[in-house]
Amino acid sequence: MNSFIKQLKNGIITENPNLVQLIGMCPTMAVSTSLVNGIGMGIAATAVLICSNAVISLLRSITPNKIRIAVYIVVIAGFVTMVDLLMQAYTPTLSKSLGLFIPLIVVNCIILARAEAYASKNDVLHSAIDGLAMGLGFTFTLCILSTVREILGNGTILGFHILGRAYQPALIMILPTGGFLTLGIVIAVMQKLTSKKGA
Amino acid sequence: MSRKKEKSNLIENKKKTADNEIIRLGVTLFAITFVVALLLGITNMFTKDRIAAAKEQSAIDAMKLVQPEADEFNPIDVKLDDAVVSSVNEAKKGGEVVGWCVKASPNGYGGTIELMVGISKDKAVTGVSIISLSETPGLGAKASEKSFIDQYVSKTGPLNVVKGSAADQNDILAISGATITSKAVTSGVQAALDCITKLQDEGVLK
Repeated sequence: MNSFIKQLKNGIITENPNLVQLIGMCPTMAVSTSLVNGIGMGIAATAVLICSNAVISLLRSITPNKIRIAVYIVVIAGFVTMVDLLMQAYTPTLSKSLGLFIPLIVVNCIILARAEAYASKNDVLHSAIDGLAMGLGFTFTLCILSTVREILGNGTILGFHILGRAYQPALIMILPTGGFLTLGIVIAVMQKLTSKKGA
Repeated sequence: MSRKKEKSNLIENKKKTADNEIIRLGVTLFAITFVVALLLGITNMFTKDRIAAAKEQSAIDAMKLVQPEADEFNPIDVKLDDAVVSSVNEAKKGGEVVGWCVKASPNGYGGTIELMVGISKDKAVTGVSIISLSETPGLGAKASEKSFIDQYVSKTGPLNVVKGSAADQNDILAISGATITSKAVTSGVQAALDCITKLQDEGVLK
């Protein structure tokens, strides 16, 4: 149980894929314009991460070293396509607003990185937990970024106006520039908080 | 056995193991891709109908939005020589034709914008609805807001995009900071109007 919590903490804080490992930046920038998109992308990527980590760990003894990357990509692409089809069938609106970014989970480097660095060396249970932890870490970052960007850039949260009609939205926050600004500040805050804890 | 023969035997063996390895790798990769493809096929089988139903539902919802009076929609089978207009539906109310729903997909700033345009029998726009767009959030994406899209209602064209203030009956006030999007949506609506006029002239539509 202890190791489970440790792994979760590792994924969300200590080794957060976006804020500490600085991987998976492209989808982070692109979908964090509204909280709904952020949560949707986070859940989709987490589902893919858990499944692909578990399967890759299961196949680790029969995967020849020379073609391991090809095997990983096939497994990941398979799960992403399944998630994409399921989302189109059951959440058509969300699937429409995330658009191209769902198929692009295939090349999200968080997933390939976890397959190579963790799942290929550890047992199924721990790999699945690692997938969950890293996925939650990714979702956590997306939620923070998209909350800030949606409030400042559009004056809404989850589509509800909260800053009143008089608020003139700061468009820059919705545009890529705002994404980089927010990400930089969040990383700085995170560094400050974790370094204090360590001291 | 001579040394030479031994050496050639050794090389041959090496070659054999290399061949075997390639086959082994190929078979493993094939087995994995085969299983994945099988699972994808099953997923597709289960979701296919639902996806088609969801797509059809969203098209019907869009048509209802632009032709609020109509209660029945029938696709019209016509050959369209148009890059923008992709389909025409007849809107009926109690069995009588009240107008048409035209699906147009002009090119916007961030890709294709899909529109549903409702046109009445006297060739005025009854409503426009955005089915999908990938314009910049906060700028071009405002095209789906009521304040912009309702400008088209009861216009007959030819439409002009203007900035500042709309003076003429057929003027469309552009979204500030998103002129390309405004022009794209307007060109889509105009293409829909032109298409209906053309089909009427050809006698396809009454």
